[in-house]
Amino acid sequence: MARRRRYNLRPVGQQKSNNNHGGLPVFEWLESSSLGIWVGESLWGYPIVLGMHAIGLAIVVGIFVMLDLRLLGVIRGVSFAAFQSLFRLAWIGLVINAVSGSALFSSQATTFVESTPFLIKISAVIAGVIVGVFMQRRLARRLADWDGADSNIEASAKLLALLSLVCWIGAIFAGRLIAYL
Amino acid sequence: MTEALVQAIEGGAINTWVLSTYWLWPLLEIIHFIGLSLLLGSMLVVDLRLAGFLRQIDITAMHRLLPWAVIGFAMNATSGFLFFMGDPGRYAINIGFQVKMILVLIAGLNVLVFALRINPHIDRWERHGDTPAIAKAVAWVSLCTWTGVLLLGRLIPYIGTG
Repeated sequence: MARRRRYNLRPVGQQKSNNNHGGLPVFEWLESSSLGIWVGESLWGYPIVLGMHAIGLAIVVGIFVMLDLRLLGVIRGVSFAAFQSLFRLAWIGLVINAVSGSALFSSQATTFVESTPFLIKISAVIAGVIVGVFMQRRLARRLADWDGADSNIEASAKLLALLSLVCWIGAIFAGRLIAYL
Repeated sequence: MTEALVQAIEGGAINTWVLSTYWLWPLLEIIHFIGLSLLLGSMLVVDLRLAGFLRQIDITAMHRLLPWAVIGFAMNATSGFLFFMGDPGRYAINIGFQVKMILVLIAGLNVLVFALRINPHIDRWERHGDTPAIAKAVAWVSLCTWTGVLLLGRLIPYIGTG
């Protein structure tokens, strides 16, 4: 059963041309690019890139969820100053996933671009990144106050944290469903 | 032994439930992914601090982060157990799964070393200072084993399935 998604999602050579219903030529070009072919058809390309994508996911979502829970008051006693350096780590994770995600996308671009869960996932990721940038700025500005007392965390910052949580959990939800819908 | 185990599971109540509930498998995958993010996210912070990095983090903050690793692990142990019950034949003989379970075991023993030899002393350490060698060793073992667990888990469908 665990194998099912691989075969659903990895069109074999000849399936590719049948698969596209008049999509943009750029997606066909991506699939036939050397990157797309390496990821889609070489023995180790897909697993290696997928493995990187899982590592990046754990870093990005893991760190943002910790920060979100801290802002929401679920986690207490961890200084906000600590999260400043964790942001750097989270952005490294994001770069890993942007690169590995683009490679995965290139292997089946025409399929992904017509997949609703994929489009929802990408929207959730972009929204999550934008919220993350706002959170990082807010953190830099409000650091001293927030570390002074948890009651200094304003409602709008908590709302950002909640949005961030929804985006990342939503991205995982939609991302997993790509293989099923 | 493996065959006997697989035979005992297949056709049983849990096996039937997992296989016949069409939305369960994707739901378990989602839970497994959220759990891994909680586990690895919190462990990453804890391990980097234990390894001597991120010294602006008060070392006693470990006590606040570790419960989230436990929650993540519980989510993944539960969903993982149900994956196995749903498709025991495929998992039991999969080399990726077998090595993953060995790594989980090593990571578990490593947690034991942490709980017995490190955690009781943390409150006496300098809060923003360097960490002892044993803490660094435990941190690196943890980072390597959990990363290995993540990678092997993701690769189960691609390697070692007969």
